[in-house]
This record gives sequence, C-alpha cells and structure tokens, in this order.
Amino acid sequence: MKSAKEKRPAGQKQYYRRKKVCKFCVERIDSINYKDVKLLSQFVPERAKIMPRRISGVCSPHQRLLNDAIKKARNIALLPFTTE
Amino acid sequence: MRNYEIMFIVNPNATEEEIDKINAQLESIITTGGGTIDKIEKMGKRRLAYLVDKQREGYYVLFSIVANGDIIKECERRLRVMDAVIKYITVRTDEEVRRMEKIRSYRQKRAARRGSGAGTTPGPSAEEAMQ
Repeated sequence: MKSAKEKRPAGQKQYYRRKKVCKFCVERIDSINYKDVKLLSQFVPERAKIMPRRISGVCSPHQRLLNDAIKKARNIALLPFTTE
Repeated sequence: MRNYEIMFIVNPNATEEEIDKINAQLESIITTGGGTIDKIEKMGKRRLAYLVDKQREGYYVLFSIVANGDIIKECERRLRVMDAVIKYITVRTDEEVRRMEKIRSYRQKRAARRGSGAGTTPGPSAEEAMQ
C-alpha cells in the first residue's frame, strides 16, 4: 500500500478519500425497526437492492440489523423487492 | 411468554366495521389463550410497495402482544383463512427489547464512571454492547 505522502508518477492525480462513518454509530441509533420506512429507504437505492457496506460505510453489527429490518419490511410490503 | 408484534394488511375496500370485527376476533383468541394485548394500532391506509392480491393500497393494523407459540399459531391460522386479510407478518420483539436495555445500562454505567460530561462523545460503545 502506498502512503499518502509517497511521491506518485507525474500526471497522476491524488485522491483523498474521506473516511466513511457508520450513520447508526454516529447518531446513536440503537434499534433499527422494520416499520421505520424513512430510515430504511436511505439504504435501498432505486433498484431496491440493499446498499453494500463498502458504499454506505455502515459498521458490520449495524449492517446485520439493517439487513434483517429491510427484509422484514419487504415481507409486509413496506419496501419493494424490485422496481417494476 | 414472549413479546410479539403481529402486523397485517386488510383489503382497502373493507369497511371500518369489518376491520373492527377482525380485531375483535384476534383479541378474543389472544385473551382466551392467556396472552395479553399491549397495544392495537390502526396505522391506516398506505400504498403498498408492490402488488398484493392485485391491490395497490392496504389498510395496516399492528398488534403488540405478549403470548406463547400456540396463540401465535392460532392467530396466523385465522389470518390466513380470512378473505379480507391480504398479508400478515409476526415478529418477535423481546430479544430486541432486551438488547436495548443492555445498551442503555451500559451507557449509564459509562456515564456514571465518566462523571457529568459523558454521553456526548461519540464512541464505539453501542457497537461493543451489541456483541
């Protein structure tokens, strides 16, 4: 792995990726309820798939809870399985 | 005895009385079986995320109950038989409640140890307590 300080070949742009943080840890949301559609829909993009951790930055314990909640919500037609 | 939530969707064309009748039926099943009802919430009509029984809308009702497996089994059987009910789900909530209490007590302990200024600094406390 290259460190940020290391010199790169000329012409290559340097990117500083912002550190992602888990929304649930930061805002101290403990329970992820399947009825909370407003919260859950932030983690289902247009195709109605569950957003991966690598994009959303959610930590693994919270992602697990989120997964369960989204799947329950889908079961009772609060969230879609797919888009038509 | 465990805590459960039963949520079901009634056909939007059903009248208010029919919904009340369904609720009363479920209530009697639960109370005669020895369970208790914490809350009955009529969440009202809302759009479904996908078509269910060719319906775009549905009337949501939520029961919060304390019951055992037999009662739940009977409730689900009845819901399946009813024509007006188009979808239902039963969720166990006692584990979730216990987890929340654990986190809360952990936070309080932490806050007590730290003194007055605790509780505002974000940290991995919630994560740790969840394990």
